Amino acid sequence: MRRAASKKTGQSNSNPSAADLFRSASSKANSKELERIDSLFYSYANGSSGLIDPEGIEALCADMEVDHTDLRILMLAWKMKSEEQGYFTVDEWRRGLKALRADTVSKLKKALPDLEKEVRRPSNFSDFYSYAFQYCLTEEKQKSIDIESICELLSLVLGSTFPAQVSLFVEYLKNQNDYKVVNMDQWMGFFRFCNEISFPSLSDYDPELAWPLILDNFVEWLREKKKI
Amino acid sequence: MKKRQFCIERFKNRVVVDSNYAEKTWKILEDAIHDIYNHNACDPTFDELSRNAYNMVLHRFGEKLYTGLEKTMTSHLKQISQSIESAQGESFLEELNRKWVDHNKALGKIRDILMYMDRTFVPSNHKTPVHELGMNLWRDVVIHSNKTKTRLRDTLLDLVLRERNGEVISRGLMRNLLKMLMDLGSSVYQKDFEDRFLEASEIFYSCESEKFIKSCDCEDYLKKVESCLNIEKERASHYLDSSSESKIISVVEKKMIENHRHTLIDMNKSVLVNMLRGDKYEDLERMFNMFRRVHSGLTIIKDVMTSFIRDTGKQLIMDPERLKNPVDFVQCLLVLKDKYDKVITLAFANDKSFQNALNSAFEYFINLSARSPEFISLFVDDKLRREIKGVGEEDVETVLDKVMMLFRYLQEKDVFEKYYKQHLAKRLLSWKTVSDEAERSLIFKLKTECGYQFTSKLEDSPTLSVQVLTTGSWPTQPSPQCNLPSEIRGLCEKFRNYYLGSHSGRRLTWQANMGNADLKATFGKGQKHELNVSTYQMCVLMLFNNADRMTCKEIEQATAIPMSDLKRCLQSLALVKGKNVLRKELMSKDISEDDVFFFNEKFTSKLFKVKIGTVVAQRETEPENIETRQRVEEERKPQIETAIVRVMKSRRVLEHNNVIAEVTKQLQARFLPNPVVIKKQIESLIEREFLERDKVDRELYRYLA
Repeated sequence: MRRAASKKTGQSNSNPSAADLFRSASSKANSKELERIDSLFYSYANGSSGLIDPEGIEALCADMEVDHTDLRILMLAWKMKSEEQGYFTVDEWRRGLKALRADTVSKLKKALPDLEKEVRRPSNFSDFYSYAFQYCLTEEKQKSIDIESICELLSLVLGSTFPAQVSLFVEYLKNQNDYKVVNMDQWMGFFRFCNEISFPSLSDYDPELAWPLILDNFVEWLREKKKI
Repeated sequence: MKKRQFCIERFKNRVVVDSNYAEKTWKILEDAIHDIYNHNACDPTFDELSRNAYNMVLHRFGEKLYTGLEKTMTSHLKQISQSIESAQGESFLEELNRKWVDHNKALGKIRDILMYMDRTFVPSNHKTPVHELGMNLWRDVVIHSNKTKTRLRDTLLDLVLRERNGEVISRGLMRNLLKMLMDLGSSVYQKDFEDRFLEASEIFYSCESEKFIKSCDCEDYLKKVESCLNIEKERASHYLDSSSESKIISVVEKKMIENHRHTLIDMNKSVLVNMLRGDKYEDLERMFNMFRRVHSGLTIIKDVMTSFIRDTGKQLIMDPERLKNPVDFVQCLLVLKDKYDKVITLAFANDKSFQNALNSAFEYFINLSARSPEFISLFVDDKLRREIKGVGEEDVETVLDKVMMLFRYLQEKDVFEKYYKQHLAKRLLSWKTVSDEAERSLIFKLKTECGYQFTSKLEDSPTLSVQVLTTGSWPTQPSPQCNLPSEIRGLCEKFRNYYLGSHSGRRLTWQANMGNADLKATFGKGQKHELNVSTYQMCVLMLFNNADRMTCKEIEQATAIPMSDLKRCLQSLALVKGKNVLRKELMSKDISEDDVFFFNEKFTSKLFKVKIGTVVAQRETEPENIETRQRVEEERKPQIETAIVRVMKSRRVLEHNNVIAEVTKQLQARFLPNPVVIKKQIESLIEREFLERDKVDRELYRYLA
């Protein structure tokens, strides 16, 4: 029997027949859950816009006892497939909380550790990493993010996984003058770099390959630094 | 009717055969053979003998005849052999030779007598023909007799050695005897002489080469080798068999050159360099010919030549003194090229690989300096400007061809184009070319070389003071605007209105940096002159209508002429003898911003019309240089991008390294693109979503339609 392949949305792998049973048997329970999710949404949402705005998110975070700059909030946004930074629509909210099987704040809070585990799975993390970049593109047609924000984002997203590389790259970005912004290609390039290049030796880095130029410059900067 | 059978009738004259007959007949012949060998006159005539032999064969006594012949000849040869063996000293060879000649004569006669047998009995009984028999017997009985065999060989070799050591020997004798051996069969020649001859020669030349290589210097050693080769060649032609010539030559080559290759090379490096420096064509040719014979010998010479040219060229290019005078510098390059062309033609047999080496050496060092394109253009400018009397069209052509050759070496052809256009424009607008023909010729050559839109039309300009140049056909340059004097401005406006009135839809931009004006000026003592000046010069001079003195800075502010151009302008107005309509307060050669200028009341000139020339195309100053270079770099970016798109469009999917290679190939006729810049452009194209990276293979790019 083929398994339902929907890991990203977090739906549990189950037999179609079992799912049918589940749905039919607990449809009542389901609709109750949905109701609670919705009402939770509207408790935080802005009356006029019908969205949860930054203020609402802050309130939610306070209730969950999580700092609103915490990475887990970003992970939550990812789970929701939220499009606009700082805002959650009702559809996004429903999607996320349903997947997490959370209809109360406390359940949501309890779901966070598992969510983190899920995100950090190698198969998901690359997707999350690129999502993080896109999420920060606030203007329409914006393709790149300014250095300052990139440094913050990088530290937030990769700081715990690759502390050495991240801190050095951040230092490099702050000290150089060639680049004022970083684009998606460069962002993803750095992730590849962390995963593939041995650090701190950098022995297998070859600038004649297709690495983004910014990384060629970074490596050169590192090598110069080592000499001193 | 009797049936007649066709048959060969028997010989009618049947001679009665008796057993004695054979014996008797043979005796006659035997005696004859004796007589022949003993140089006695034969009693029976040739015809009689011949008939006797014939009869014997006819009557089936051929076997007896043949065997008899063999025996008789053998016994004679034995005697001969003994007499040869007992010959003393010098006479050994002579005796041998004499007896050989005799034997041949005798053999000839015998064969003639026995011709019938030779033609009938011999083949049908598979016997060796008489002549051959004679040869074989000579070989076996005489030459290969125990004593003679070695003695002959040793004597011959000894003679060769003596001749090599300078003695005169009897070449005729040698020739005859060696021919004899050849006649006996080439294997006899080889075994009895040649093999040992070659061995002995090897030893001889090994010693010789050892001796000379220690005592001679390089040039003398090569002369020695050459002479040895000649001697051996001559000897071979005189008395050796022709097949031996190439063998002995290669012995000499091997022993004298090949075996000492490394010593010679080390000796040669500095010697070779000196030869090149001093244009010693003969010595070089000799060395070339020597090394040609040796495996990879020429490569060595070529390498030495290449690195010497590279070093010379490098020094030339890095010499700061030289670089102050670009025309001189390029002239030196041409001289250098001429020198080596000559060397290759006269000494190196015009060898193609040497020519290629020369070209690559030039390409290497010319591109070491980023200013080479500029300097070559300045050289061209100088040549095309000079109104040298007596310089024919031909000479200009030759010079231009040489320039084209240097042009081909340039990697940054687009930089050259930039400067060429600048200089060309200045030449044309100030009417300073030697000939239109020459200009056209050069443009044609450049176009042929690059297939590019180097400047096209040379327009015959009208005598209007306004030349309207269509941007397409003239090299466009950014035209710094300057503040024209009010008098002129009015006229310009009028013209603009007129022009745009009759040609709508066009844009008119004044190219103030290239224009002419005729000014009427009155000087201190009332001298009137008509001054022919450039637009800039006009603007400057007109200021002095309203002021007596102005500083350079003030002039800049008033006219808005770029400082570098202004300085040149002031130089031409104040510092050129005979043309100094302005006076500079400080008598220094350079112009600084604070220098004060006065109208020169005291200006005089014999001519009414004074032409104040613009200062000739100068070598760019440092900052100008940097600016030009930056412009070039900027212009290259879109070219690189276009090339990338072109490549990706046709290949759809391509790896990073291949993209770099393809793009480089596409652009190499213009310049050598920097892989880093290519990478940057690729990334820009990725950002703008013309290309994407493959999800799986990060080295792969994909074209997004």
